[in-house]
Amino acid sequence: MVDLATKSLLHDRLRFVITVSGVAFAVTLVFVQVGLFLGLLDNASVTIDHISADLWVTSRNTPNVDFAHTFPETSVQRVRSVPGVARADNLIVWFMTVNLPSGAQEGTLVYALDDFRRWNIPWNVESGDLDDLKRGQYFFLDGSAVKRYGPFAPGEYREILGQRMKIIGRTKDARSFTTTPISFMDFDRAQKLSSQQLTNRTTYILVKLAPGADVAAARAEIARRLPYNDVYTRKEWATRSRNYWVQSTGIGLNMYITVFLGCLVGIVVVAQTLYTSTMEHLKEFGTVKAIGGGNLDIYRILGKQAAIAAVAGFLLGALMSFAMRPVIAKIDLKLIITPQFAAIVFVGSILMCLGAAMISFRKVASIDPALVFRG
Amino acid sequence: MKVLEGFEVTKEFREGRAEVVPVLKGVSLALERGEIVSLEGPSGSGKTTLLSILGCILTPSSGRVVVDGEEIDPGRPGQLPAIRRKSIGFVFQQFNLFPSLTALENVEYALNVKGSKGAAARREAERVLEAVDLSDRKDFLPRDLSGGQKQRIAIARALAGTAPILLADEPTANLDSHIGAQVLELFRALAKKEDRALLIVTHDPKVRSIADRVLRIRDGQIAADGLAA
Repeated sequence: MVDLATKSLLHDRLRFVITVSGVAFAVTLVFVQVGLFLGLLDNASVTIDHISADLWVTSRNTPNVDFAHTFPETSVQRVRSVPGVARADNLIVWFMTVNLPSGAQEGTLVYALDDFRRWNIPWNVESGDLDDLKRGQYFFLDGSAVKRYGPFAPGEYREILGQRMKIIGRTKDARSFTTTPISFMDFDRAQKLSSQQLTNRTTYILVKLAPGADVAAARAEIARRLPYNDVYTRKEWATRSRNYWVQSTGIGLNMYITVFLGCLVGIVVVAQTLYTSTMEHLKEFGTVKAIGGGNLDIYRILGKQAAIAAVAGFLLGALMSFAMRPVIAKIDLKLIITPQFAAIVFVGSILMCLGAAMISFRKVASIDPALVFRG
Repeated sequence: MKVLEGFEVTKEFREGRAEVVPVLKGVSLALERGEIVSLEGPSGSGKTTLLSILGCILTPSSGRVVVDGEEIDPGRPGQLPAIRRKSIGFVFQQFNLFPSLTALENVEYALNVKGSKGAAARREAERVLEAVDLSDRKDFLPRDLSGGQKQRIAIARALAGTAPILLADEPTANLDSHIGAQVLELFRALAKKEDRALLIVTHDPKVRSIADRVLRIRDGQIAADGLAA
C-alpha cells in the first residue's frame, strides 16, 4: 500500500519541521509548566508522603502541614489507647527564626520528634547520627538550606530563637513548599526553644495502626475522643496540604492558563500548517477523488499526517523537557514527569493535532473533483 | 458492445441567485469497447462538463447515463466514486501526478484506491509502466521527468486495473507536437490492445488521426458525429 500521507508530509520538509516544532513547543510548555507545578506540589507534601504514619491528628481546620497550630500534648495518650492503634507520637512542626553568621535572620521549619527513626523522617540522611539529637543543643539541617543560609557544615553553630545550636547532621530532599529550609531536632528541645508557645503542646499526632486494623473504625474513635481535632489518612492530609497551595495561591490558575496557551499555540500552528498544506494540495486531493477515492480516503491522509506530526512533536518536546531537568535542578526546582503524565500529554498531543486537522477536513469535504479539469 | 451511453443529457449551472445557465442541452452518445472517439468543440461548448458527467464526477440535470451497464442515479451521489473506481480511468491535461510519489507509486496508489493492494498492485503497476515504456524511470519523481514522460505515467495510471473506459482531457495540450503525437499513438495502441473505450476531449486536430470517430459539440449540443477522416 503506497503511503501517500507520509510521503507527501515528508516531501515538504520545511513545512514538516514547522509543524513538528509547533507541537514540540506546546508539548515542552506543558511538560515544563505542569512538571514544575507537580514538583512544587511534591514539596508541599513531601514530609507527609515519607513519614510512615497511617493517620494524622491535627488541630481543627489546620490548612496544611506547614501552618500548624498547637494543642495539648497529652492528647496523644487518648489516641494510644484506641483499639487498633499500634503507636502514636507527638510531632511538632514549627517555624523558628535562625540568626546567620552574616547577621541576617532567616526562618527554618522545625520538625521535632521524640524518635525520628520510628517514623522514617528524615528519610535521606547524608551525615550525622539521629540518636545524637537527644544529647544536647543539636539539630540536623537539610542541604537545601545552602541557598538561603549560605554554606554550612556539621560541627558549625547557628542561633535558633536566640539559642546557640550545633549542626550535627545534614539531610537531603526535605523541602517545604515555601522553600523555608527544614531542620530536625528533638521534641523536648523544640518545646524548650519556643517555650511560650510549645510547652506541653504539640502540633500533630502521628498514628501507626496495627496490621489488619480497621482504619475507618480507628479514625472514628480517635475523632470521638478528640472532638476539637481533625483526623486524616496520610493521603487525605497530603491532598489537603497540596490543595491549600493550589487554591490559595495563583499557581493552579497559572498552570491551567499556561497549559491552555500551550495547547492553543500548538493547535494554531498545526491547524495553520495543515490547512495551508491542504489548500496547496487541493488538486492532488481532487485527483484522489477523480480516481475513485472518497472523502474518507482524504481524511485518512490528513489524519495520518496530523498523527505523525503529533508523535514527532511529542518526542521532540519530551526530549527537550528531559534535557531541561538538570538545568532546572540547578536552581533547586523539581520537574516531575511521571509515566502517567507523559501518557496524558502524548494522548493530548494526538488529539490536539487531530482536532487541528478537522479544520482541513471541512475544506476537503467541499472539494469538487471536477477541479482536476481546470488548468 | 456499448460501455458508455448518454441519453438526452442536460446540465444547468446556477449563477447568482436566479440565473440558470444551460451548458448541455440534450446530448446523446455512445462508445463501444475498443472505440476511440475525439470530442471537439470551441471553449465553453460544454466538452469538459460532458466529460465530467460521463466520468461520474458530475451528475446530469436530466437525462440518463449508463456506465459499463450500470445506470447512474442522480439521487445517489455516493454511488459515483465506486463507479469511477471500477469503470473509469482518467488522463488530465495537467497530468495531476502526485509529486511526492515515484512513477511506480503514482500508478500503484491509483490501484490501491481502486481496491488492489500489495504485490498484485505492484505487479500491475510494473506491467502498465512497461507498456508505456517507462520501466527504467519507475523510481523517478515527477519533477525529474519530462512532460511526455509524465503524460505516459498518467496514461499508465488510467490503464492500471480493468476499467473499460478511459477519459482524457486535452492530453496533448502541455506537450510539444512531436511528443504529443508519440503519446497519442501510444494511447491509441494501448486502448486498442486492451479493448478499452477511449474518449478524448481536445482542441488538437492531430487527435483525429488516431480516432475512429469524431464528435463535434457546439453550444451544448452534438453538432456532428462522424467517422474520422
